[in-house]
Amino acid sequence: MQFDEVAPGVYPSLIHPPYQSTRIRGPMQPPLRVKAPVPANDGVQFSPALIGPKDLDLTSHGSSAPLGEKIIVSGRVVDEDGRPVRRSLLEVWQCNAAGRYWHKKDQHDAPLDPNFHGVGKMFTDDDGRYRFVTIKPGPYPWGNHDKAWRPAHIHFSLFGNVLAQRLVTQMYFAGDPLFAFDPIFQSIPDEAARTRLAAHLNMDHTDGGNALGYDFDIVLRGRHATPMGL
Amino acid sequence: MTSRITSSQTIGPFPHEGWRWAAELSQQGATATTWITIGGVLFDGQGQPVSDGWVEAWSPVAATGEQGRPMPGFRRCATGERGEFRIELGASPQAAPGEPVAWITLFARGLLKHQFCAVFLADAPGLANSELLAQLPAARRDTLIAQRQADGSYRWDIHLQGDRETVFLDFS
Repeated sequence: MQFDEVAPGVYPSLIHPPYQSTRIRGPMQPPLRVKAPVPANDGVQFSPALIGPKDLDLTSHGSSAPLGEKIIVSGRVVDEDGRPVRRSLLEVWQCNAAGRYWHKKDQHDAPLDPNFHGVGKMFTDDDGRYRFVTIKPGPYPWGNHDKAWRPAHIHFSLFGNVLAQRLVTQMYFAGDPLFAFDPIFQSIPDEAARTRLAAHLNMDHTDGGNALGYDFDIVLRGRHATPMGL
Repeated sequence: MTSRITSSQTIGPFPHEGWRWAAELSQQGATATTWITIGGVLFDGQGQPVSDGWVEAWSPVAATGEQGRPMPGFRRCATGERGEFRIELGASPQAAPGEPVAWITLFARGLLKHQFCAVFLADAPGLANSELLAQLPAARRDTLIAQRQADGSYRWDIHLQGDRETVFLDFS
C-alpha cells in the first residue's frame, strides 16, 4: 500500500497547551517520512480464536444487565480508496454509565458497576463491518483544569491490515454540548475531522425496544497504488 | 474517490483492562531458541519516566517462527511505575541485514497520536548499510539503536520530547 501525507489539521496538534500533559509529552519534531516497505505491506496476524461471544457484547460480562442505556455501535472500516479493511482487529474500552472506568487508578467519585467492565474486541468482516453491544458511557471529570469534563466517548484501537494503518481514536456522540470545552477533542484543528469522530443515531440499526443503534464509520490511512501504465 | 481519514486521539490513562489480553500473551514467551530482550525507560520532555505509556513491538521475522500462535511476532507492554518496559522476541538467523529487529508503536496519555519508530541492535550485522537508518539524520540515528548490556540483553530508552527526542516515523 502507499501512504499519502495526512492533510494539515486532520491529526491533532501533538503539543496542544490546553491539554496540559501534551506540553511535556508531545514530540516537537515532525515525524520523518521514510520509505519502509515492510510496515506498509505487512501487519500483525491475530488468530480468530482470540475472540469470543462476550467480546462483542460488553453488557454480558456480569451476572445481570449493567446499568445504563444499552446501545449497538456498528460501522464500516475502509481505507482511503474506500475499500473494506477486512478481518482486522478492533479493540474498544470505555467507562460505565456513571462515568467510571474499571481501573484501579480511576478516582472519580462515581459508582463502579459490577456488571460492566467496559472492554471488548472483534474482527471486521469481509466487508469491513464491525458491530458490538454496550451501554452508553457517561461524561466524567478529569484534572486538566477547573470544571474539566470529558464528553462521553468510547476508545477505539484498530490494527488495520498493515502496520502503517494502526489507529487509536475516540468515538463521541453527535451533538454533545461538551465538545466546545474539551481540549482533547479540540486538539484536532480541522473542524470536519473533529466532526467525523462523532457517531450518529441510526434507527435502521436500532433493535426494537432493546437498544438504540449508533453508526461510526472509520477510514484508515493507505491506498492501493495504481500500476504504471493503467 | 478519496475518503477522508479518521483522526487520532490519546489512549488516555485507562486502556489497561482492554489491552491486558495482549500484554499477557506477550509474557508467554516465544518458541525460538534464541532470545532478544530489549528493555528501557519511556521518558517525557522533562526527563521524567512515563508510567502510563504502552509499547507495541512487531517483528515480521519473529512472526515466521511463531506461526500457529495467537499473535505471531507481536508484543505489547505497559510501562511500569518507573517508566520501564521490556520486550522479548525470538531471534532468527533469517533476519534481513539492516532491517530493524522490531517495528515499534508507542502510546501514552498526553500523546494525541501514536508514534511509530523502530529499534535496531547495536551489534547487528548490516547496520551500517541499513536503508532505513540511511534515511534518518545522522545525528539522530542512535535514538533507534539498542545497546548490548553485560547480561546479554539490550537497553533502549525512548524520549518523547526534547534534546534526545527519539526519531519518530511516518511511512510513505
